[in-house]
Amino acid sequence: MNDSVAIHTAGLTKHYGDVQAVVDLDLDVQRGEIFGFLGPNGAGKTTTIRTLMDEIRPTSGSATIVGLDTHADSVEIRNHIGYIPGDLAMYPNLTGMDTITYFANLRGGVDWDYVNLLAERLEADLSRKVGDLSTGNRQKVGIIQAFMNRPEVLIMDEPSAGLDPLVQRTFQEMMKDVTSNGSTVFLSSHTLSEVQRVADRVGIIRSGHLVAVEGVQDLRSKAIRRVDLYFDGTVDAGVFEAVDGARDVEVRNHHVSLSFDGSMEELLRAASTHNTLMDISSQEADLEEIFLTYYRQEV
Amino acid sequence: MAVTLTNVFTKTSRDRWKSTVIGAVTLALLLVFGMAVYRDIDVSFWDDLPEVFRNMFGIPEGADVGGLAYGAIYSGYGALTMAAIAMAAGAVSIAGEEKNGTIGLLLGDPVSRTKVFLEKAASLVAVTAVGFLILWLAAVAAPIMLDVDIGSMNINALLVMMFINALFYGFMAMALGAWTGKTSIAIGVTSAVMVVSFIAAGLLPLIESVAGVAKVFPWYYFTSADPVSNGIDWGHFGILVGSAVVFSVVGVIGVNRRDLRGQSVGTKLIDRLRGNPLTHKAAERFAGTARVSHIWVKTASDHQGLLFVVSFVLFVMSVMIGPMYNMLDDTMKSLSEQFPEDLLSLFGGGDLGTPEGFYQVEMFGLVIPIGILAVTIAIGAAAMAGEEKRNTMGLLLSNPVRRSTVVAQNTWTMILYAIIAGVVSFLGVAVGSLVGTLGMDLVNVAAACTLATLLGLVFGGVALALGAATGRTSIAIYGSVGVAVLTYIANGFLPLNDNTEAWARLTPFHYYLSSDPLNNGMAWGHAAVLTGLFVIGVAVAVVLFNRRDLRTKG
Repeated sequence: MNDSVAIHTAGLTKHYGDVQAVVDLDLDVQRGEIFGFLGPNGAGKTTTIRTLMDEIRPTSGSATIVGLDTHADSVEIRNHIGYIPGDLAMYPNLTGMDTITYFANLRGGVDWDYVNLLAERLEADLSRKVGDLSTGNRQKVGIIQAFMNRPEVLIMDEPSAGLDPLVQRTFQEMMKDVTSNGSTVFLSSHTLSEVQRVADRVGIIRSGHLVAVEGVQDLRSKAIRRVDLYFDGTVDAGVFEAVDGARDVEVRNHHVSLSFDGSMEELLRAASTHNTLMDISSQEADLEEIFLTYYRQEV
Repeated sequence: MAVTLTNVFTKTSRDRWKSTVIGAVTLALLLVFGMAVYRDIDVSFWDDLPEVFRNMFGIPEGADVGGLAYGAIYSGYGALTMAAIAMAAGAVSIAGEEKNGTIGLLLGDPVSRTKVFLEKAASLVAVTAVGFLILWLAAVAAPIMLDVDIGSMNINALLVMMFINALFYGFMAMALGAWTGKTSIAIGVTSAVMVVSFIAAGLLPLIESVAGVAKVFPWYYFTSADPVSNGIDWGHFGILVGSAVVFSVVGVIGVNRRDLRGQSVGTKLIDRLRGNPLTHKAAERFAGTARVSHIWVKTASDHQGLLFVVSFVLFVMSVMIGPMYNMLDDTMKSLSEQFPEDLLSLFGGGDLGTPEGFYQVEMFGLVIPIGILAVTIAIGAAAMAGEEKRNTMGLLLSNPVRRSTVVAQNTWTMILYAIIAGVVSFLGVAVGSLVGTLGMDLVNVAAACTLATLLGLVFGGVALALGAATGRTSIAIYGSVGVAVLTYIANGFLPLNDNTEAWARLTPFHYYLSSDPLNNGMAWGHAAVLTGLFVIGVAVAVVLFNRRDLRTKG
């Protein structure tokens, strides 16, 4: 393993009795990237993260963060990371500011100007008690405490829970900003659009198994497109079904829609031989569709 | 299992039956145990004691082995234990659902607030009744098993009155919880009423001039008519049942009249002071950044309310006992000569004819240990298990802090708070001795308070270790309280019988008062044993907490 790896796991496995929460996970997250950790509920995302944080201990296998062992060097590691646990809970009788102060004290200090900057950016109210905050506003306090020490690695389990779309966007910008300064983000999520927007690479986990690790761009390029064609007269579905890479062809009067991962030139040729093509639209399929198409059966 | 989720009644009963059954089975075992110990000693001296004294411990006239066992175990410890369990269940009935944030979901179903309250009330009655059924079975079986003649004692009347007494406190807590939505208020007020009235109902009738005042205290209506000898006093029965009904009505009105609480923590005085520009700076210094400077400081801040209440109670009671001794002096002195030394160990030991002995029975025997244990066990259970229950441990440990540091810092606070409670007890006794001109040796008082502090730390260490091992506050609290109650009672009974006397050395309580520190001064060896036990508890906590997976909520 070299210095460019921020998080490394080797055969990481965690069983709870008979339940195999995570099985033989091999993963490398590079420094400076945003790594999306995707999977449905109960896939093993949180178990993986809790193992990385030394909250729970692996049944077998091991992991390192910035080259340090997650168990043996766990205290040292925490000088380098920021963390937002899933299902974030904090001390209800402390204000946001008290909470930040507490963690700052445990860390031996913090740059308060930066804390205020983060709070401003997220429009977080730190004067209210955490117990009186809504889920989204509580999450903002969690985000601030994770970012405030300018950590080398940010590990975040479903961090956008409860955030409104505007704040989500701000949060995504914040992630991009810190990675442009060399930090690494490990982001677990089941919200594909978020990961799609920010991540450089994506790991997909299902039933405890890592089924794929790919660059977001690679995923998209291999991916299906959603194509809609509009004609000036009725068309025959068979013409399109014959084209290589066309799937789920639906014809409604003058409108054809299909999923397509073949050559666009061939499709256009088929379209123009029959009727006059009035309009065409083509969209990238999102990760959901890719996920369902490519990985549903892997485990 | 699905049957238990049929309605609010069955769901509540399912959540609550365990503590009641465990409490009742423990008491039932203690009854058998106590009766077996009494069987082998001569108890005829009881008949020579004045009536008031027997009443204080709920022992009927002409009582033999059975009377002593039922009196000491059922109507004393038993009644307190069952009332406390009912109180805990009552307090969380409505307020607990609000604290958990589940009340909204529950009332999202087509059930009225009144119906929820009444079904939970019915569950409280039913579950408590099951506990008393167990006590009744043991009461009937124990004399047969041990071949003890219990004569004409009215066990049924005793148990009925105990049952109603327990429900009184259960409904009181339930009504307070329903009215305020706060479990802390429900438990705090009810347990204060319970403890004060238990002590008042026992003590006040002994002082002629104020005997009538005892009627103000609800516990009086349970014990004063002596149900074991005289059967049920229906007037007293009616007062307790009537009060429970009034509590129900108050509870129903209370929960219907107000806004339900979310998981909101509410605004306290200190929050207002922090919000006010004039007082902001001072309040901030006191409650703001100051209380989160270290883990141990935050722990101290979390428990300062409990420490304050306990210290206040210990101080006031310790002071009051001094002048009270003078009121009782003559009766006690004549009594003390008739009292076999062995038997005094049941009540914490001590010669009642001396100020030291009186303080030992009234304060050091039970009240001071309860006070200090309440503080140390609360801190021990909250240290790891509480943090895990709130789901904040993962976040806390994402900072560069060792797990052993978390244990250590909580331990510092526990030690500090146990010392404060011990020092306050010392000051209270010292002032009480001064006010009553009793002339007690203050060095000896300090020794007894030091041993009490160490005893508190031993059980705080047990709670810490159990919480560290399991991450469950319920195990930490019930486990350490259970060990404390069992060893306390065992330490009272075992010395009564020559065959079992040596076994008392296995209980931590033996190393607290058996050396009679109020008369003999510090027993350094005993202090060392208690310190050793505490250190073991903390060491076990560190090792076990380091080894295991953290729990998430639930």
